[in-house]
Amino acid sequence: MLPRRDPATQSEGVVAGYAQTASRWPAEPLVRRPQTRAELTGPRRLAERLAPVRGDLAGQGSKRALGQLIHLRARVVDEDGAPVPGAVVEIWHCNAAGKYIHPNDTNDAPADPHFYGAARLVAGDSGLVELRTIKPGAYPVPDPGGWWRPPHIHFSVWGRVWLSRLVTQMFFPGEPLNDADYILNAIRDRAARERCIARMAPTERGPANALIYDYQIVVRGSAATASLA
Amino acid sequence: MGAMKLVPTGEMTLGPFFPREFAQGADDLTVVGGRRAPGEPIEITGRVTQLDGRPLDNLVLEIWQADSRGRYEASDFFGWGRTATDASGVYRFRTIRPGAGDGRLAHINFLLLYSGLMRHLQTVMFFQPGKDPVLDAVPAARRPLLVAKREGNAYRFDIRLRGEGETPFFDD
Repeated sequence: MLPRRDPATQSEGVVAGYAQTASRWPAEPLVRRPQTRAELTGPRRLAERLAPVRGDLAGQGSKRALGQLIHLRARVVDEDGAPVPGAVVEIWHCNAAGKYIHPNDTNDAPADPHFYGAARLVAGDSGLVELRTIKPGAYPVPDPGGWWRPPHIHFSVWGRVWLSRLVTQMFFPGEPLNDADYILNAIRDRAARERCIARMAPTERGPANALIYDYQIVVRGSAATASLA
Repeated sequence: MGAMKLVPTGEMTLGPFFPREFAQGADDLTVVGGRRAPGEPIEITGRVTQLDGRPLDNLVLEIWQADSRGRYEASDFFGWGRTATDASGVYRFRTIRPGAGDGRLAHINFLLLYSGLMRHLQTVMFFQPGKDPVLDAVPAARRPLLVAKREGNAYRFDIRLRGEGETPFFDD
C-alpha cells in the first residue's frame, strides 16, 4: 500500500487569487478509497507507446533559440529515494519572451522560430533525464485578475504504478516572482515548496555555455509497490 | 525504510498550454502492436463540465483498465490511454470492455488534468451498479453518478467537476 500524503505538502484545491480553481475543484470532499490492484499497477513499458521526442530544445548555431542556455538535470526517484529507471518524463515551457507554442496562448509576446518548447524523455538507470534548453521567461496570466507567472518548467511524469502519476512545475531559484505566485504558494508547507525550486549547480569556467540546474522529482511508491499489488 | 521516506513532490496544475501533440494518438486501446486486443470493442464518451455547466475544452483525460478477463498489466492489452476534450467538452476513447476480477466490478480508472485543477482528479467509471470496494466507499446516493449509460455500442460517462450532479472523485 502507498502511504497517504501529508496535505500540507500538496496544493490546495481552491486557491484565492486563481479564479478558475473555484469553478473546477470539487465542492464535495474527495472520497477515500481502498487501494486495490487497479491503483497499484500501472502501464508497463510506457515508452513504447509514448516515444521520446526532442531531447534538445535549444538548437545550435543559426538555429539556436533565443535566451539563456540551460542544462537541466532532473532525477526521478521514488519515496525510498531509489531511482525509477524507464520513467517517462514530458517537459514543456514557454520561450524566453514568455510565449508558448500553443494556439490558446494569447499573450502579446513574440514567438521564436527556433524554439519548440515540448520534449519527452525516458529516464536512464539512475532515474536521470537531461535536457538542453533555454530559460523560460515570466509572463502575465491572460485571465481577468491574472498575475505574473515566474519562470517555470512543466513536468508530467509516470512512476511505477497508476497512483504514482505526477504533473507539476519546476521553478528557478532567486526569482522575485516566486513569492507571489498563486500556484507555487498553494503548497502550504515551506519545505515542500522549496523542493519545487531547482538548484543551480556550479558552472565551470571555460567553454561551458549553459547554466546547470538540478531538480529532484519524487513520485509515489517504492520498488516493492508493484509486487505488493 | 519508514523513517527515510521522501515526501512526494507537490502536484501542480497542467496549465492551459499542454502541448496538443502530447494529448493525441493514444485514444484507441483496441490495437496493441498492430494486432487487435481480445475482447469486445467499445466506445466510451462523455462531456466534461465545470460549476456553471460550461463544457471544458482541451481537458486531458487518462485511463487505466484491466483486459477483457479482468487482468491488470496483461501481456496482450496495454490498458492505458489518453485523450483531450474538444471545444464542446466531449472526449472519446475506443477500448476493450474490461472484465471483472480481483473482487472488483468491471471498471475503468480516470485521471483528469486541466488548467485550474491544482491537482489531478481521479474517478472511476463502472458499467453497472453492484458490490465493489471502491464504489462502496462512495456515499450511496452518489454511486449512480459513476455508472455509465449504454447508448448503442457506446458507454456515456459525463463528468461534472463541481456543482449540480458533481462526479465523485477519489483521494488516495
